Amino acid sequence: MKVLDIEGVSFTYEDGTPALKGVSLSIDEGEKVAVVGPNGAGKSTFLHLIAGFRTPFEGSLKVMGERLEERTADQVRRHIGLLFQDPDDQIFMPTVEEDVAFGPVNLGLDRVEDRVIQALRCTSIEDLAKRKPHRLSHGMKKRVAIAGVLAMEPELLLLDEPTAGLDPRSRSDLIELLRNMKRTMLMATHDLEAAAEIVDRVVLLNGSVVFEGGLSELMSKDDALERAGLEPPQIARLFKRLGAMGYGPQGVPVTLDQGVAEAVRVIEREKGRSRGRND
Amino acid sequence: MIVAHVRGHHTRPEELDEHARASWLGRIDPRAKIIGVVVFVVAAALLTRTELILASLSLAVAFAAMSQVPYRHLARMYLGALPFILVASASVALFAGLERGFDMWARTSSCVIALLVLASGTETFELFSGLRRLGVPKLVSTLLMLTYKYVLILGDELARMKTARRARGFKGGRSILDRRSLDVIGNTAGMVFVRASARADDGYEGLRSRGFRSDMKLMRAPRLRAGDIAFVAWFACVSSILAAVQLGGVG
Repeated sequence: MKVLDIEGVSFTYEDGTPALKGVSLSIDEGEKVAVVGPNGAGKSTFLHLIAGFRTPFEGSLKVMGERLEERTADQVRRHIGLLFQDPDDQIFMPTVEEDVAFGPVNLGLDRVEDRVIQALRCTSIEDLAKRKPHRLSHGMKKRVAIAGVLAMEPELLLLDEPTAGLDPRSRSDLIELLRNMKRTMLMATHDLEAAAEIVDRVVLLNGSVVFEGGLSELMSKDDALERAGLEPPQIARLFKRLGAMGYGPQGVPVTLDQGVAEAVRVIEREKGRSRGRND
Repeated sequence: MIVAHVRGHHTRPEELDEHARASWLGRIDPRAKIIGVVVFVVAAALLTRTELILASLSLAVAFAAMSQVPYRHLARMYLGALPFILVASASVALFAGLERGFDMWARTSSCVIALLVLASGTETFELFSGLRRLGVPKLVSTLLMLTYKYVLILGDELARMKTARRARGFKGGRSILDRRSLDVIGNTAGMVFVRASARADDGYEGLRSRGFRSDMKLMRAPRLRAGDIAFVAWFACVSSILAAVQLGGVG
């Protein structure tokens, strides 16, 4: 089933600056997709538009089959959980559990306490339930914000730069959390290493969709990466360099696991070649 | 005090919140606090006999002393209100004599001190949600909450801009006629409003994205306990005695 179905969406800011032009994208249930692109490419605008905060726009946008228009925005938003780049924009209530309950209470959902417990458990912050959110670290605030979104049990998660501003440990913890989460998600990021760990598919956005496909495939498109000012993950750069030295991999690995598998394959291949030469 | 649940980096309010939570006053239900203090303020505002006004001032000071709200904070807040109190008292003194002017100062001070203790000894969210649960229209309580959030954001942005200015060598304040200083301060003010407005929009979208319409709702509705009722009863009793003596029924 299509959770998100976008056809030829264009959006221009009030001052006349074009932000998005003819963007089309479709996401099936359970799929994880990253929108990547340089600063100012329209990634955040795109997410906010899907969440119904940027109207009017041209084209068609449906979430769970419901068409997004100005008058249906509140209803469509019930299917969506939007994680803001800065968790302080999102956290409002005096305690963590109250904040996590904020969405379900507002939407009049049932089993609020169960939802809160479940969301806190899912984000591994059960022990913070009674704490004041503003006293927490940035990484923990992100988790509180994610828990607040999960408690609403949305069909589609929109994550705006989820790894921005996190220290390495918090970043890798968050990546693991998102990777293991069984949710349909669309994340805007320019952190390709994080995207490589989390998503199945990427969309390169620069006002319009420049590329759509696997991250590994995008890594082989040097021109597109260069134009978008994107840095490939270290592991991809390593294998590209090895490829230039004659140890070409079959594909460009983008995660550590893929890199290890590819390295083993290259080593085995080179061993075989050297055995062949010796024979 | 009015707090930090909205924004996280206002050190002093946060410290005050810690005090508020740790103190007996912080544990009283906000509805009880609002009713008790408002009853006292209404009674104190109606007093005209000097000895009763001084009694109400003493009660307000005793309430402040027992509240465990830091004295320095209360003193600073009171000093902020003092010019307005003095202007009102001076006006009365001019037209009705020194004694009436003194009464005006003491009466207004007792009300202001009691209200300052209420505001300082209660977390902002609790204060506003208490008002809401007492029947204040949702539009008013939500407007108060959002206005407060915006004021904090404004203060936060101003602090950032000031730090950025200092980091780049701006000293300012040499003279009110220093044109460059005036330019920089004017630009800062403009930027603070632009940035605060953008952040306020983000914050509002943050609320909307989580189903917020126009009312702040709580996960659990708190119930009044014996201590809350005792608090209201004590203020009601004291206020009744003051009012009764004022009206000549007693003494």
